[in-house]
Amino acid sequence: MSTEVVAAETAVNTVVDNSAGLKAIGAALAVSATGFASAWTEKEIGCAAIGAMTENENLFGKGLILTVIPETIVIFGLVVSLLIIS
Amino acid sequence: MELLQKLRRYYPGSRKKGGSRKKGSSNYAYTTTRVRAMKVHLFPKETYPRLMNMDLNEMTRFIQESKYKDAIDEMARNYKGVDLIENALNRNLAVTFTKLIDISEGELNLLISEQLKEYDIWNIKTILRGKYCNASTEEIMEAIVAAGSMHYTEFAELASKDTYQEVISELVESEYYPILEQYTGDNLDDIENQLDKKYYADLFDVIGLAKSKDRKLFANFTRTGIDVKNLMTLFRLKKSGMTDPEYMDLMIDGGSQMTLVDIERMLDLPFEEFIAELENYPCWDEISDVVSSDMESLSIVESRLKKYRLKSAISSSRFYPLSIVPIMDYMLSKKNEVNNLRIIIRGKAANLGDDFIREQLVI
Repeated sequence: MSTEVVAAETAVNTVVDNSAGLKAIGAALAVSATGFASAWTEKEIGCAAIGAMTENENLFGKGLILTVIPETIVIFGLVVSLLIIS
Repeated sequence: MELLQKLRRYYPGSRKKGGSRKKGSSNYAYTTTRVRAMKVHLFPKETYPRLMNMDLNEMTRFIQESKYKDAIDEMARNYKGVDLIENALNRNLAVTFTKLIDISEGELNLLISEQLKEYDIWNIKTILRGKYCNASTEEIMEAIVAAGSMHYTEFAELASKDTYQEVISELVESEYYPILEQYTGDNLDDIENQLDKKYYADLFDVIGLAKSKDRKLFANFTRTGIDVKNLMTLFRLKKSGMTDPEYMDLMIDGGSQMTLVDIERMLDLPFEEFIAELENYPCWDEISDVVSSDMESLSIVESRLKKYRLKSAISSSRFYPLSIVPIMDYMLSKKNEVNNLRIIIRGKAANLGDDFIREQLVI
């Protein structure tokens, strides 16, 4: 095997290794960014829900539902990250 | 947590001039939503015509069964009848506004506390007026609304003093002392004006350069309030035929629509021209049908101007739901509710005509 072919194979392997790493970074970003986004929105909605509940306890159910709605963002992020790494 | 909030209320020393407290610690989502939930408990406008059709006992029972129950139970030991209701209304107002200071944080807390200093000034003025006309401690305390930074017991202590000199010497540590020390016993109107001007100057000092959206909104709210106050004073002066430029001292600087120059110009105009000039201002739509050159009473104009301010606060709170405006809107609405109830109850107790009472209401 000539030296050029070996060099080319090494280069291809490096690119393949790099793409796997980039995929992992992409997947991590998808989960972490959506995780932060949903945490931030849940904090705001949760605060508001607690404020409303303090004055009217009957709003507990509505408050709970509204607080967990942003959780869908992180689920989308998780699905996207699974698609990236699969 | 509650203890920390109370300590913060009593020792607000961390505040800096120019309102430089960090914005990041404000809890707008919590406070505005809680305040909106509190606003639901305000009486709807349909309540007032119903109250007007009740006699005094029915009204008392109606208020006793409402959210004012706790305050009435608390005050029932010392007062009865109309006095009980009036004191309970004041007590409820103070508790509600103090609660706003307790539940807010950061910049929001700073702005609400500054706004509520209006009641500190109101109470100091009430005590000085009481001393001026030799009112008893109980009579003075009936008009006290301890919703600002000073506590009810502090005002009770001040009201129990024998002379105004003793009251003022008790306030030597207060920020109002430089003004109060000029009180000689016969210049109360001047002192009251200076206190009001100081209140607005301090508010604008806290707002600072109004870089953030909330401070701009708060500044606009305050400026609209100044416009309404100045316009009411202007109406009273014009109606009494007082056009001397020295009355400009009664006006407060900082209005959004009317500058002091505009007011000075209007002060000189005859009443008909003054009314014509008002057509250029946004409040005209609200007052146009009650203002005329031969009008006798100003009470309806004043209630319409208050309504204009309330309406502008309500519309701003819809545009900016997560800001200070819904809280200011609530404070204004709550104060208005208490005023309306007081007007109806006192009016009924004094056997005033229904039409006259209705004119005074801001619904």
